[in-house]
Amino acid sequence: MAAHVDRRTYWIVFGSLAILTVLEILVALPSMGVPKVPKVISLITMALSKAALVGLFFMHLKHEMRALKLTVALPFVFPAIYAVVLIGEAGWRLIR
Amino acid sequence: MSAIATAAAGSPPVAHALPADEYFGSASLGKIGMWIFLLSDAFSFGGLLLAYGILRGGSEVWHHPGEPSLGIPFTAFLTFLLICSSVTMVLAVAAATEGHRRETMIFLGLTALGGIGFLTGQFHEYFGLVPHHGLVHEGLVFGHSAYASTFYVITSFHGAHVLTGTTYILVTLARTAAGKTNANDIEVLGLFWHFVDLIWILVFTFVYLL
Repeated sequence: MAAHVDRRTYWIVFGSLAILTVLEILVALPSMGVPKVPKVISLITMALSKAALVGLFFMHLKHEMRALKLTVALPFVFPAIYAVVLIGEAGWRLIR
Repeated sequence: MSAIATAAAGSPPVAHALPADEYFGSASLGKIGMWIFLLSDAFSFGGLLLAYGILRGGSEVWHHPGEPSLGIPFTAFLTFLLICSSVTMVLAVAAATEGHRRETMIFLGLTALGGIGFLTGQFHEYFGLVPHHGLVHEGLVFGHSAYASTFYVITSFHGAHVLTGTTYILVTLARTAAGKTNANDIEVLGLFWHFVDLIWILVFTFVYLL
């Protein structure tokens, strides 16, 4: 007899993803008048939260061994640094 | 050793043939291999999104007059479609884990439908399913601006992944119908499909919403 899989978590994640998507659209709509900086920060935060939900629960990374989690997560440290430095530098050259 | 000997004898090696590893537990070689592939694929997308950010961050005018805006409501629908297909995929994995082949096949079929729906939507967005509609006809032309070119490169690269994933699902569905798959095969397929969804979440935010 194969193990039973509890599906409640999947539906909770699905609901969270749907709610976050609606919130993203509301924040992005020009008619909502959200200032640029809070808009950018909130949209990036919501996108990364949604990506984390998919990775942790749908891809089951939460239940994997520590070594696999680190194998997947650690390589993203440098691209994140590159993103902040390079995009920031491009913007800086524009406004200085 | 025993797994190698089994494979050499002509029988298909099974996922649990190797003993649990000290660091990676019972994760199969196929699963670890897919994770490593997805990492390399994520860096490809990361490079594209970085280039997009640098070009956009350093440009005085990003959205030129005459170029159409991207349709957020329609793309939000496509995003929701991909999220739904991720749910049906994870339900297929759950069904496969429990040994329910028919249920697995139903959810794989629904997931493939989600992929086909997304691809149809993307075609409509680019070229229009009716004449004189679509971004190409409205003036968003590859090569005319960084805004247009980065849009087409990033979204079409993702679309190629959806096409690959949908094909992968349909092949796995046929193999499941023939009784040639196990739960590990479905889980590895699921990793790829969820990755396609995960990447779209980021593309939707950076390219459409910001």
